[in-house]
Amino acid sequence: MTHPLFLAAAQGAAQPGIVETFGLETKYIIMQVVSFLIVLGVLYKFGIKPVTATMEERNRKIEAGIRHAEEMQAKLAATQAESAVIVKQAHGEAARIVDEARKTAKDFLDKQAQEATAKANDLIAKAQQATQLEHRRMLAEARAEVARLVVTTTERVLARKLTDADRAAYNDAATRELTGV
Amino acid sequence: MASGKKQTQQYARQLLELSLVNGAVSLERVAGVLAHLERNRPVNVLGILRAYHRLVAGAVARGQAVVEHAGSIHDQALADIAAAMSRRYGRPITGSARRNNALLAGLRVRVGDDVYESSVAGQLAQLAAAV
Repeated sequence: MTHPLFLAAAQGAAQPGIVETFGLETKYIIMQVVSFLIVLGVLYKFGIKPVTATMEERNRKIEAGIRHAEEMQAKLAATQAESAVIVKQAHGEAARIVDEARKTAKDFLDKQAQEATAKANDLIAKAQQATQLEHRRMLAEARAEVARLVVTTTERVLARKLTDADRAAYNDAATRELTGV
Repeated sequence: MASGKKQTQQYARQLLELSLVNGAVSLERVAGVLAHLERNRPVNVLGILRAYHRLVAGAVARGQAVVEHAGSIHDQALADIAAAMSRRYGRPITGSARRNNALLAGLRVRVGDDVYESSVAGQLAQLAAAV
């Protein structure tokens, strides 16, 4: 970059017209070039290079961020797809559970109804048995009472109506029966 | 205590055997046994006498047919019943009559704990029980 200036300076020395025209001096030009180089080096070392490094770092970060975002987007899409599958499975599972719950509730209700019917039938049967037993007991009591009345009445009638001859005849028959024991 | 009671029962049974003649209680033998006990009072004579009394009462009851009757009964019928019971039990049994109008008509014979009945009251009771 500085090479054409040196050539120009050399040509100027060869052709005095231009150098004298513009008042150029070699030492100043060299000093300017040196200064420029120094400034350029300093700027490059402390300005351009850190800025470039920072920019490259930022570019890397941006690229990493973009990649990360893309990965996240991909993961998000995968997650959404997975979530959709899970939700679908959950819907199916929920529907199955609801069906099972309905079936269980129906079975429970049927079982309760059957048990209630069985209990009712049992109660009816027991009530019928109790009624029959009570009926039989009443019949037995009535029969016993009738028998007692018949026997009592018969005893009273026989006590009045039996003559001594009847008793003697019965006693003879009883004697024959007892002696034949 | 139990052993003493057992001995008393055994002694009373021995006295009862001494009181029997042909399987029947003899009044003379009983009087002799009582006289013996009066003369030779054993230990626990009161318990022995009670057991002896119970055994004699049982023996008398087993040797006697109590014939309960409603209406009249002939002596011959009483004798026939006594003879039939003697044959049945294989020991001499005497008959004694006892009036019981509750029978209405018929007889009831007791020999010890056994009862034989042929009476109107008994048949009515059987009828009431059957109904």
